[in-house]
Amino acid sequence: MTTIAERDVALVDLVDRLLGGGVVIAGDITLAAADVDLVYVGLRAMLSSVATAEEKGLLGPLRGSSP
Amino acid sequence: MIELYAITSAPAPEADGLRAIENDGLAALCSVAAERQLSAEELWRREEVIESLMQDCDVLPVRYGTVVRDADEAARFLTSRRDELLQALERVRGAVELAVRVAGDERAVAGDGGGYMRVKTRLLEMHDTLSALARESKELAPGRGAYLVGREDVAAFVARVAALEEANEELSLLCTGPWPPYSFVGP
Repeated sequence: MTTIAERDVALVDLVDRLLGGGVVIAGDITLAAADVDLVYVGLRAMLSSVATAEEKGLLGPLRGSSP
Repeated sequence: MIELYAITSAPAPEADGLRAIENDGLAALCSVAAERQLSAEELWRREEVIESLMQDCDVLPVRYGTVVRDADEAARFLTSRRDELLQALERVRGAVELAVRVAGDERAVAGDGGGYMRVKTRLLEMHDTLSALARESKELAPGRGAYLVGREDVAAFVARVAALEEANEELSLLCTGPWPPYSFVGP
């Protein structure tokens, strides 16, 4: 994942994984990204331009991978 | 406050800009938590750090935005979840995650019922074919699969994706990775 174009295509997969995957720590530990919904709203705007660039559309719901 | 990036077996390899908190055979790689504007660059910055770590050892990536109060709290987390984390490390040993996203022809997906069913069947077949080459697989959302693939099998997997795309004119497949095993660290 080195070129800009590759990164644009891969960004959707990165967002799915960074925000929806990984080890989750619950309990008395707080999340820095307190309002994850806001994070998603921001990224959705970012991703819509990626979708256009991709010319393939069908990005599907960003929330798809959340537990 | 410190931000957690990944969990590895102790001793952890040196990682650029990260500090390892080790306890009970496990290591949490972290940095001082900082307020950052969320952006594509910020996500890639973090991803690069974890990917470079992945070159040297098996890692369990931690969900983005996870912070703990201090090193003691990180160490306590390693102890309290020790068995589960060790099992997770065993599960992903020597493997990476590959993502396969289907970008279909909209007419086929949104068209008549027959076209929709045909595409759906095709997707299931592809998922089964790719799953056979993976240790584990998961459908994150319709048309968005995650596959846990042994490092030695990555080339064969990518070749199979290319062959599937060749054989299916209606659908195009985007394969990205190798990623740290984000989708295979939990239940």
